[in-house]
Amino acid sequence: MSLFLFVLRRFGRGLLTIWFAVTVTFLMLRLLPGDPALAIASPNMTPEIRAGLLTQYGLDEPLPVQYVKYLGQLLRGNLGVSFSQGVDVTDALMAQLPWTLLLVGAALVVTVILGIPLGVLAAAKAGGVLDRVVQIVAVTGQSLFVPSVGILLLYVFGLQLGWFPIGGAYTDGTYGGEWYLSVVAHLVLPCLSLVLVQLGAYVLTVRSTLIEALGEDYVTLARANGLPHRRVLWKHALRNALLPTTTLIGLQICLYLVGGVILIETVYAYPGIGRGIYDAVVRLDFPVLQGAFLLLAVVVVVVNMITDIVYGLLDPRVKAS
Amino acid sequence: MTRASTWRRFRREPLGMGALIVLALLVFTAVAAPLLADYPSGYGDTVLTPPSGAHWFGTDSLGLDVYAEVVWGAQQSLLVAAAASLIAILFGTFLAVVGAYFRRLDALVSVIVDLTLSLPILPLMILVAALVGPSTMTIILVIAAFSWPEVTRVVRSQALAVVRLPYVDAARLMTSSPVWIITRHVVPAVMPLILVSVVLTASRAVLSAAGLAFLGLGDPNTWSWGRILYEAQQAGAMSTAWWLPLFPSLAIFLLVLAATLISTAYNDARNPRRSKA
Repeated sequence: MSLFLFVLRRFGRGLLTIWFAVTVTFLMLRLLPGDPALAIASPNMTPEIRAGLLTQYGLDEPLPVQYVKYLGQLLRGNLGVSFSQGVDVTDALMAQLPWTLLLVGAALVVTVILGIPLGVLAAAKAGGVLDRVVQIVAVTGQSLFVPSVGILLLYVFGLQLGWFPIGGAYTDGTYGGEWYLSVVAHLVLPCLSLVLVQLGAYVLTVRSTLIEALGEDYVTLARANGLPHRRVLWKHALRNALLPTTTLIGLQICLYLVGGVILIETVYAYPGIGRGIYDAVVRLDFPVLQGAFLLLAVVVVVVNMITDIVYGLLDPRVKAS
Repeated sequence: MTRASTWRRFRREPLGMGALIVLALLVFTAVAAPLLADYPSGYGDTVLTPPSGAHWFGTDSLGLDVYAEVVWGAQQSLLVAAAASLIAILFGTFLAVVGAYFRRLDALVSVIVDLTLSLPILPLMILVAALVGPSTMTIILVIAAFSWPEVTRVVRSQALAVVRLPYVDAARLMTSSPVWIITRHVVPAVMPLILVSVVLTASRAVLSAAGLAFLGLGDPNTWSWGRILYEAQQAGAMSTAWWLPLFPSLAIFLLVLAATLISTAYNDARNPRRSKA
């Protein structure tokens, strides 16, 4: 019963967050200075077309009515029409979404795979040489501007050394296994840029929670029982320290990754949502910008919800609290 | 812990002092920009030349001096960072302490903070900046508008602990004015946290502003570090002219790193036991 309630509560929270995102977007589009017709159509239109659009989209109606209609449209998955390309925003975004998810997912996995051992090694000998190095590298990484890292890697490994392709997501005219290889080759540099910037925060959190866990009674008990240091560290302390921080930081990183991915896709001309946002900014394509924000918000919220629920299923303490 | 002893301990942190000097130099560059370089505008005579004696940081695709752009960019970047973080801190702290004191308001504030913090902020900033139209004012307000929840979250947790302390109860016996209690007792107690928050919010503002400018949403009439990168990307000059992205990137990196190190050193100096952990 409590498990059902727990899942229900997380689900409700996710819905509330999405509703909040939608409402904020609606209010911004309607209340910010600027022509509301601009938000759904092109800036170079005649007054007649403009008036027609205002009626067609119900922009001359009172705000609450507009709000309900807006919600209804979104529920049907209608994000409007991109005026620079004349295609459905939903279709355009759905074509870009897989690439962005691939990039973010790869970056997240690599960050976790590298971050956990580094954090553990630093925490194992807190104050030691390795700990100092890890801390300095982590703080340095956190201060980097994502596009700067992207451009640097692009210049060194793409242009000078020629190890990796310099833009796009795949090589045209390749099929089958070759195509998959080209996708991986195109993924390496943008993914690495994101990892370099995110890794620091992850490592530092793993380190500090683990140091805290190492001071707990059960660790002292395990040591007193004569368990080897390595086993206490990697098994007992890490397991208990990691689960909560991994979800917590996973969510935080997920949020920052979304910002980073927009910038890095721009650097690498990667055909994801971030690149789409960049193109939309250049053309002042508001429906695309609006749709991109809402879609990214939904993705983040859904990922949050799933991690939360899965974690709740794994850890009995969460259900209790 | 007195202010003087914190400062004495801060001075003994070599990283913190180094960072403070770097920050001071960047602020000096920003303030003294008119003395250090002519404002870059129009067209130069030599296009895309590498760094040399005449042009320390080389020239861009319009032949403008990159050194001058970086110097004037410091002014814009620091202005945006300072203004945005000031607004975010004032607003965020206000909501945090008032919420902590009046518990009914707190529920609403914390829900809004939680919801905002679980949304991807950069796409939201992009949407607003594009709708309102890029200008320095827009950038400052947009960044401030989405930075205050983080400040509120951090300050609120401390403020909640403070209002439960006996001396706040004692103050309630002496006065019925919440304004007096909040300004005299709650705000001073969370002040160290606010100082750290200022530095961190400002450094994040630098990154956000650079990100917006890199996507073409910076003020088109003023040079900023992000705009140098944007122009280089637009001109397709990234691949040939390494000096174009290098110098503004270094400037952003130095500023953010200095801010992070200062806040860490300040925390350690204020709370010497914590730094040992």
